[in-house]
Amino acid sequence: MGERFPLLERYRAMCVMRAFEEACLEGVRNGELRGELHLAVGQEGVAAGMLGTLRQTDWMVSTHRSHLHAIAKGVPLRPLLAEIYEKATGLCGGKGGHLHLFAPEQRFSTTGIVGSSLPVALGHAYAARLDGTDDVAVGITGDGGVNTGQFHETLNMAAIWQLPLVIVVENNRYAISVPSRDVTAGPGIAERARAYGAWGSRVDGTDVELMADGFRAAVGHARAGEGPALLEATCFRFRGHFEGDVDHYRSEEEKRRMIAEGDPLRIAAARLLDRGQADAATLSAIEADARRTMRSLLHEVRADPPPPPADAFRDVLARNPR
Amino acid sequence: MTEATPALARRDPNISQVIADTIRMEMERDPTIVFLGEDVGYSGGTFGASRGLHRRFGDWRVRDTPISEMGFTGLAVGLAMSGWRPLVEVMFVDFIGVCLEQIYNAIAKNRYMSGGRVRMPVTIRTAGGCIGVAAQHSQCLWGTLAHLPGLQVVVPSNPYDFRGLLAASLESDDPTIVIEHKDLYLRRASSFRVGAELPPHRFLVEIGRAAVVREGSDVTIATLSTMVERSLRVADRLAAERIEVEVVDLRSVCPLDHDTVARSVAKTSRLLVVDEDYRSFGLSGELVARVVEALGPSRVRATSRLANPDVPIPAALVLEREIIPDEDRIERAVRSLLDDRVPDA
Repeated sequence: MGERFPLLERYRAMCVMRAFEEACLEGVRNGELRGELHLAVGQEGVAAGMLGTLRQTDWMVSTHRSHLHAIAKGVPLRPLLAEIYEKATGLCGGKGGHLHLFAPEQRFSTTGIVGSSLPVALGHAYAARLDGTDDVAVGITGDGGVNTGQFHETLNMAAIWQLPLVIVVENNRYAISVPSRDVTAGPGIAERARAYGAWGSRVDGTDVELMADGFRAAVGHARAGEGPALLEATCFRFRGHFEGDVDHYRSEEEKRRMIAEGDPLRIAAARLLDRGQADAATLSAIEADARRTMRSLLHEVRADPPPPPADAFRDVLARNPR
Repeated sequence: MTEATPALARRDPNISQVIADTIRMEMERDPTIVFLGEDVGYSGGTFGASRGLHRRFGDWRVRDTPISEMGFTGLAVGLAMSGWRPLVEVMFVDFIGVCLEQIYNAIAKNRYMSGGRVRMPVTIRTAGGCIGVAAQHSQCLWGTLAHLPGLQVVVPSNPYDFRGLLAASLESDDPTIVIEHKDLYLRRASSFRVGAELPPHRFLVEIGRAAVVREGSDVTIATLSTMVERSLRVADRLAAERIEVEVVDLRSVCPLDHDTVARSVAKTSRLLVVDEDYRSFGLSGELVARVVEALGPSRVRATSRLANPDVPIPAALVLEREIIPDEDRIERAVRSLLDDRVPDA
């Protein structure tokens, strides 16, 4: 895996991810996107760290902040962006929108309800056991989600039945506006695994290489049939909980410091330069290329048609209700 | 898998045996059905509706879960997206509040939200209705669940429908909640007035088709579950006075077969809805509205609703009897619908 995804490739992926989120942000700024938009700018290290470890047949179930996970799972960018822009060409024909992404071919789905991703991932893990494969399921949640009952119910069931489930907790330190340390008991999130006899570990998710190592270990554990794994990845959410969040609960100093010290792109870039694996010009070119690619993708998506109005009535049930 | 199903040859089963036999038959037919719930495995179900299934199909297909309704209902969502057909038992429908999030935000919506790319063939069996167990173990809640788009809500009243509707639910690509009245589990098939005969072969009852279980020309009673038999007994009483009551067993709340009811009311011009569920914002008001919309107000002479008058179900039997429709109240409601016959005559 280290060969397929050397640091430079992960850096490239993170540049695409950031440019992707910026392309979404533009829709809010231009008034093209109504409703809420939850961006993961600053959390690219977690998603890019997951690249290269999963198979197409492994399932991933993500959250309200899921775009980068979708990219990491191999969901094609164009229908992904088109769904976020609520176009007919989107993954779900414009009926899901940014919170509800479904890409069954890539074994990827999301839910907009905090904590609800985990039992669904548990179901995929149960299915893998029924199917007799060594596929795994990845359920993603945040530091807010670990205080839902579903987190505990899922870990308990995964452990008693030794299911191949990997729970990734993106700990960006805030459950919307509330600091997670104020509302989360115990020594830490990863430590909660021990209560269920599960594998648990914490990594610095701003460091894409550490994240990749941690994720590979967690998936390896689950794939080997040794039961569930809980990986806590610490990171920073650079923007508010959603676009429109005034974010008054974090000081300017705190925001300045997280961007200066906790940006996974800068951390990776500095390391690449340090190791002599890339020069500054190469890194700038990679970043510019990602931006250009996303700009042209956004240009195409904007020209896509909206869903036909009659689609509002389709797909409620497989058969038409009376 | 080719083992004969003594199930279907069982003589005079009770309803819980009919359910267990149906699940067994369907699980043998379709190896993708997986049954999950509290006490469904080793013990054979709190109401005995899964007896023998764990022994027959093993831990992985008949799973005793912890008391984690939200968790195992969500598990069913993942199973369904992975190509399996989960059957989930929520022991009492009153408990559905703890897992409603996965039911109404995922099971009911995933097909829609995904633009039809995801199927949700999930069946949820759950027990409803009054048997003297008070406010948290006696509700019907079919109106609450039918209010949520994306779900079928099925309420069988007799042995034939229990088998045919459950089999149809398990075969359906749509999520279906089957609400089983607790008062029926131990009733022998032969004791039912309608649907007592069970053919020894597999059959389906189409979901969304009401059944006219008694024909009559004066008043239509539209009802479901245990109220079907109560209404039939009232119809017998009134027949002695040459009042002919037509009784329609709705069989499902969603889809609601208002066409069959409207056809009946087109003949009788009087509609009484008898419902054990809460009255307001529910089945009875919805059905009256649809029938009036379908026929126009001039063709509906009178309507009435008899249902739980919007109070929680009390513990003491004498109090429970005050709020649940009984034969006397049904009879009075029918008579008052006919009051206008006098000036009209």
